[in-house]
Amino acid sequence: MPYPRSLRRQNPITYVLALILFVGFFLFFFPSGDDASSGSTERRTGSLASNVLSPPSLPFRKSKSNEPAPAPPIVHYYMNNLTTSPNPVENEETVLILTPLARFYQEYWDNLLKLSYPHDLISLGFIIPKTKEGNAAYTALQAQVTKTQSGAKNKRFKSVTILRQDTESPLQSQNEAERHKMENQKARRAAMAKARNSLLFTTMGPATSWVLWMDADIVEYPPNLIQDLAAYDAPIIAPNCYQRYYNDEKKSMDIRPYDFNNWVDSPTAKELGAKMGKDDILLEGYAEMPTFRSLMAHLYDGSADPGHKIKLDGVGGAVLLVKADVHRDGAMFPAFPFYHLIETEGFAKMANRLNWESFGLPNYLVYHYNE
Amino acid sequence: MHRQAYSNGHAFTSSSAGRSDTFSIQPHKFQPRSQPALRRRQLWIRRILAGTSLFLLAFFFFFPNLRPNLGSGPLSYWTSTEDSQLETVRYYDLNNVQGTARGWEREERILLCAPLRDAAPHLDMFFSHLQNLTYPHNLIDLAFLVGDSKDNTIQKLTDKLNELQADKDPKKQFGEISIMEKDFGQKVNQDVESRHGFAAQAGRRKSMAQARNWLLSAALRPTHSWVYWRDVDVETAPFSILEDLMRHNKDVIVPNVWRPLPDWLGGEQPYDLNSWQESETALALADTLDEDAVIVEGYAEYATWRPHLAYLRDPYGDPDMEMEIDGVGGVSILAKAKVFRSGVHFPAFSFEKHAETEGFGKMAKRMKFSVVGLPHYTIWHLYEPSVDDIRHMEEMEKERKAKEAEEQAKKERLDKIKDQFDSKSSDWEKEKAQVQNMVQKEKNEAGKAKVDEPKKQEIHEARGEEDKKKAEPPKQEAPKAE
Repeated sequence: MPYPRSLRRQNPITYVLALILFVGFFLFFFPSGDDASSGSTERRTGSLASNVLSPPSLPFRKSKSNEPAPAPPIVHYYMNNLTTSPNPVENEETVLILTPLARFYQEYWDNLLKLSYPHDLISLGFIIPKTKEGNAAYTALQAQVTKTQSGAKNKRFKSVTILRQDTESPLQSQNEAERHKMENQKARRAAMAKARNSLLFTTMGPATSWVLWMDADIVEYPPNLIQDLAAYDAPIIAPNCYQRYYNDEKKSMDIRPYDFNNWVDSPTAKELGAKMGKDDILLEGYAEMPTFRSLMAHLYDGSADPGHKIKLDGVGGAVLLVKADVHRDGAMFPAFPFYHLIETEGFAKMANRLNWESFGLPNYLVYHYNE
Repeated sequence: MHRQAYSNGHAFTSSSAGRSDTFSIQPHKFQPRSQPALRRRQLWIRRILAGTSLFLLAFFFFFPNLRPNLGSGPLSYWTSTEDSQLETVRYYDLNNVQGTARGWEREERILLCAPLRDAAPHLDMFFSHLQNLTYPHNLIDLAFLVGDSKDNTIQKLTDKLNELQADKDPKKQFGEISIMEKDFGQKVNQDVESRHGFAAQAGRRKSMAQARNWLLSAALRPTHSWVYWRDVDVETAPFSILEDLMRHNKDVIVPNVWRPLPDWLGGEQPYDLNSWQESETALALADTLDEDAVIVEGYAEYATWRPHLAYLRDPYGDPDMEMEIDGVGGVSILAKAKVFRSGVHFPAFSFEKHAETEGFGKMAKRMKFSVVGLPHYTIWHLYEPSVDDIRHMEEMEKERKAKEAEEQAKKERLDKIKDQFDSKSSDWEKEKAQVQNMVQKEKNEAGKAKVDEPKKQEIHEARGEEDKKKAEPPKQEAPKAE
């Protein structure tokens, strides 16, 4: 029986090429197996859970579906060994990045991916309201998460937790003007505080060293953000939050201060507080209520030492690195007026009552989205 | 035309027409399918394809970040099975875990928290309580925080838990079990006296609060609908306590906590005085104190005149009766997980002049959650004698011994008296016997000397005398019996 024509006449070069292509295909398009063994970012031992019932900040191994599930194991967590040090990468400290998400910006996600901190030490947590806007953000986020978590291994995050919750706030619109009206602030920030607490206390788990609060509309920051902030070894530390905009006078792009919740207290503000009713709150950045606090947003000096650090009495939540111990001791975001402060500002006060201090970096900028 | 159907190379036999008319093909003759131009084009295509793939290979080799993402490949199942089995993304809807009155039917998960310190002696009792709980065990997650323990609490706890989870029935196995080990370096002793001394209270309550917060923040999951705080030294509690408390559908709820006492102390006593309703006196007192002061209940230093849940107990009252309270005790608290999710915790600082569980109650109230106590639904705390009690017991022991000694002395004295009377009466009896003998002799002599008649009379008389003598000894013995 003679060979079929096509096989008889083929040049051996073709087979060689085909073989190379085949091998190349597997080696390069599915980098999973090889990278894990050769890469330095080997998944840390002890950071895996064997059961679904486990802290959401740990990935877990799925059991084979046909076996009967074994009894949930007894897990010891040695929290004495948990460190929060100025060089977190060397000590393999885990960072939990928490974001209350109302709108999804692609720039936000791109910046997360650009973080130079080892991604297998980073867990992400999101809380998304159950609104129309929230649904859209959820879909967009889900697509990006799926893409990243099944993509290149060194880009994958340790774990991602996505929470949905009904908002108690009756506010329909999340647009900037409506959101910043003074009378809406208290209710909005109380709802925000509850969302932050829900996210924090359900995702923190026993293995987290640092908590990085990052608003969904923060769209630009240096990739070394975590290392830079952690290097100060401060319990609570906030960079200065600015916004890029088109300056009509200068006819060019310019920056302006955005987050006014980072401040040092003033006697005027204390007096105002003393005269207030128990349920009233002091707000920053409103002409109706001059507090004369020194705002970190106005302390930016591009020519000064970028590492300059100041002590703060109130902090904003745009970008905030917190040692997990501060939260574990009970410092949370009050959804009620706490010393006439609410949410992140109240958090700084509560941390202060627990003997933890807050700091700010006036010359280290992160940028807010411009609507 | 149909004709073509038959034209498979054979002649159409019925046809009368000539051969030239039939459709003919020549199957054995080679005919090139493509033209040389086409063949040349194919060669080009092949070369271009090879070139591009080589280029792409090189390109992706040097720029690995630009490789397209095609998901996990079929080979990854045997190159890295471990990795593909890894689940890193989790979705939760917190609306499903708000907590309802009939949690056991809706499969709502409970987180049971117990802070432990030198608790080894109580663990047996605690675990028997756990096993007896009627709430489905697989819906209960256990979390322990062991800190600053000097005994073998951790080892014993681990053994006990292993025993618990070894149960064959999956319905009897508990859910997630975590043991957090964290030392806070507490200097305060945990023994009853220093634990309850007034001066140590504020500091002690703050460090207890810290431990509770660490435990909760490490153990709370997005799947929990309820959180139950339970001390290990509860001696008696209904098996259905979780359902009983849950049924009230309150945000925070506590039972009444009493403890049994020895009879000489009255049989029973209110134990947990931290569950109370706020009073005007206490609010006024709070205003006079400085920012870091902590009001603690049950001490003469702070007379608050608050209505305490504990004192309102009626053993025959309706166990479902509710009472609004402001401060809660930590022996047994059932709270909806949403309370903790929204940020309420155990203040380790002075929050409205209160700390730990009392501050927790205050904060929950501040956030408009419902906080109630059940005055007639009672659980019993273990009785550990206090130093006062021990002193009292020692006194009682001393008294008892003194009494015994006294009785002993008395008995001895009586014995002595008895002995003395015994010797006297025996003397008397000897004498009596002698007298009798003498009487007998006299009689005998007289009988010999006298005749019958007077003899009879004398005998009668003698008998009468004898009777008198016989009647006398009981009179003598009477003191003995005294």
